[in-house]
Amino acid sequence: MDYDLLLSAAAELGYGLLESGAEIYRVEESIQRFLQAYGVLQADPFVIPNCIIVSFMTPEGKTMTQVRRMPSHGTDVDLLERYNDLCRRLCREKPPLPQVRSSLSELRRTRRSYSPPALLGAYFIGIAAFTLFFGGSLRDALCGGLCGFSVGLALHGMTLLHANLFFKSMLGSALAAFLAQALTALGLGEHPQIITIAAFMALVPGIIFTNAIRDVMAGDMVAGLSKIADALLTGVAVALGAGFALTLARLFWGV
Amino acid sequence: MEIFLPVFFAFASCACFSVIYNIHGGGILICAFGGALGWLFYLLSAPLVGDDIVQTFVAALAISAYAEIMARIRKCPVTGYLLVAIFPLVPGGGIYYTMEHAINGEIDAFLASFLHTLGLAGAIAVGVLLVSTAVRMWNISLRRRKERAL
Repeated sequence: MDYDLLLSAAAELGYGLLESGAEIYRVEESIQRFLQAYGVLQADPFVIPNCIIVSFMTPEGKTMTQVRRMPSHGTDVDLLERYNDLCRRLCREKPPLPQVRSSLSELRRTRRSYSPPALLGAYFIGIAAFTLFFGGSLRDALCGGLCGFSVGLALHGMTLLHANLFFKSMLGSALAAFLAQALTALGLGEHPQIITIAAFMALVPGIIFTNAIRDVMAGDMVAGLSKIADALLTGVAVALGAGFALTLARLFWGV
Repeated sequence: MEIFLPVFFAFASCACFSVIYNIHGGGILICAFGGALGWLFYLLSAPLVGDDIVQTFVAALAISAYAEIMARIRKCPVTGYLLVAIFPLVPGGGIYYTMEHAINGEIDAFLASFLHTLGLAGAIAVGVLLVSTAVRMWNISLRRRKERAL
């Protein structure tokens, strides 16, 4: 068996899982199961949010290791499910390694995602629904939708420019809070607080926080703590951005 | 009607947010039902406990139990269903009011709402944590029983 190929396939599988937002224990377990399915007796993957280390010993007694550095990434549930399915299938069917490699690269090529207009529409309706959820009126919902739309647009643009998460959250929340105040000053919105809180839902670190808790519970303290720090920083960034916008709005309209 | 409308809005917003997190097909409905279920539990538990931190805890329990069951049925990672369904519980309002009190220089109110926000986040954490630990223990006991049968 070509162990170099096996090593890089295992690292690629882990990379794909981690990149699409899988929990740490899932990445480690998947790599381990995959290697065991191909006859490696002792495999030790070590994963933290921005690094994957795969190490195992071949039956001839040679140690093989690969390190992959993971850039900052978001959550892509569809890709995660497909990597998970692929991992199950590989462990069950054990196809030859070149085929594993081609199905891994095919998965990356056939990645599904919604078009930007569909995403912006989802931001619009989602934030409008949250405005109503928090007790806003129909006119508030329209304002909330507009805020959500512009937050979605700003997030999309900044992702293309590779802005960091802290800056993205700050700018997004500043935009949302300022627009909410402006639309109320223009007479369209009625409750700027509710509109801002609804628009916050697209920015608050709920997902990071939930993931962090799951990692801590699985015993991956390094990953869990770094994600909790991430969540707290993002929360502070959201508050800072909105605070800045609110102060600015008070200067303009004195509300 | 008082209960139906918020639950419906939670459903709609979760459906839209599952699009943002790139969930396709039936997953959207599952996430949206999860969000609605969580909020239903939140509202129904209100007369019993009357404290929003405990209510959030109850809702988080319900959502994560639901997500674990759905993940078993569809053989998919739990994360996908859990993340979006938990959204209505996330204390966005808490962050906002904390910030507003800070700007106005109301230190007492700032501290109170800051701690309350942390409490809400903690309630979600403990809820999710309890269910996933219980599932883990259940899985291990199942595996043990299987090994013993062999």
